[in-house]
Amino acid sequence: MNTHLTEDELILHYYGETERTDVARVESHLASCAECRFANQQLRQVMTLVDSAAPVEAPPGFERIAWARLEPALDGNRSRWKTFFWFPQWALAGGVAALVLAAFVAGRVSTVDPVPAHTPGMTATVDSKSVLQAEVGDHLDRTQMMLMELANTDTDHSDVLAGEQIRAVDLVAANRLIRQSAEQNGDVVIADVLEDLERVLMEIANAPANASSNDLTDLQSRITDEDLLFRLRVIASEMRQRTLNGRATSDRVPAKKMPVS
Amino acid sequence: MEERDASVVARARDGDRDAFHALVDRHSRYIYSLAHRMTGNAQDAEDVVQEAWLKAHKQLSRFEARADFRTWMHRITVNCSIDLIRARRHREDAHDPMDLEQGPLSERGADQQATPERVAASVQISDRVNEALGLLTALERAAFTLRHVEGMSIEEVGEKLGLKTSATKHSIFRAVKKMRAALEPLVETQGRT
Repeated sequence: MNTHLTEDELILHYYGETERTDVARVESHLASCAECRFANQQLRQVMTLVDSAAPVEAPPGFERIAWARLEPALDGNRSRWKTFFWFPQWALAGGVAALVLAAFVAGRVSTVDPVPAHTPGMTATVDSKSVLQAEVGDHLDRTQMMLMELANTDTDHSDVLAGEQIRAVDLVAANRLIRQSAEQNGDVVIADVLEDLERVLMEIANAPANASSNDLTDLQSRITDEDLLFRLRVIASEMRQRTLNGRATSDRVPAKKMPVS
Repeated sequence: MEERDASVVARARDGDRDAFHALVDRHSRYIYSLAHRMTGNAQDAEDVVQEAWLKAHKQLSRFEARADFRTWMHRITVNCSIDLIRARRHREDAHDPMDLEQGPLSERGADQQATPERVAASVQISDRVNEALGLLTALERAAFTLRHVEGMSIEEVGEKLGLKTSATKHSIFRAVKKMRAALEPLVETQGRT
């Protein structure tokens, strides 16, 4: 029986991926069936059209944007030995995040407006959700920066782990609050990533003072194997988007008390 | 006259920040286009560009001086795109498996189904193809791009995306069928003119 070729068979044939045992049948059918030949021709024309399309261009000035975004991260790599000088800023920011989160969690439990979420520089009209999302975004950025540094450190410099421990302790505390908040709100995807993150942060925080190159290699493997940096980037990006959406929404509807949702 | 990549790379490898900046200036647009083709949206493409340059910076010492820098960056960018797509897939799977099938890419294309009127009105083939690519889910797009544009075999695509061969095939089949449905009217229009 000489049934027509399916579209799937035509696609495999187009890509030269027909099973070896099937090639003769497909080619012989194409040679004898005008209908399938026409369908095959149509497919090829569509594919030629795809090939002829110009790719999406980067926006004007993209090179400058790319460099502006990239350079601080390169600085992070290069100045890893200067962690001491900028650690207090992170610690302070982490502390603020913890305070805001604590205030937020308290606000949820008591169902009273989380007034303590008000921080200098923010107007009273900013709702707690926006503050929380912004702080979560900051936390994710800080964590990402630290993991990136560790992932890029030469394994000969395992002493870098000791230098990151205080920062890791601070990040663990903030991470735990955010994770618990995410769990309470049923945001399982974010909670999952934060849970994986917390384990790695705990490892860093509890690393022995004389951590070996192998310890650092293990840690780097975990960061890579678990796709932590990318997963972090994805939820950080989602947080940014939520913050933007929240801002847009807050122009239209009254602020809600829902935190991470 | 523009300095050749090889010598700029050599300087960058020696820690010359300006040289690395020159490479970023020179190749970022190309990398963005590639990342956009793989991921299908500007935000992800920007993230991939950033990640690709960070990896390049870290691995610059491993770059073979005789190799083509753009080809090397191309490979890094494709891998970073795949990492992002896989990470997102992990996330989407945990959330709702259907999200991948109804993700943001397909939402964008929901009101852009090809009709003869739309096709006849469109003179920009590239725009139409890019719109058609926008109809694909993230996974379909990645599988299709790796097979069709990067020329990987279905088996290799499956390995890259962490899919079984049958699932990879189905992603590619669905992608091609969607592309065909969206673009065939344009082929017919062209054929008639």
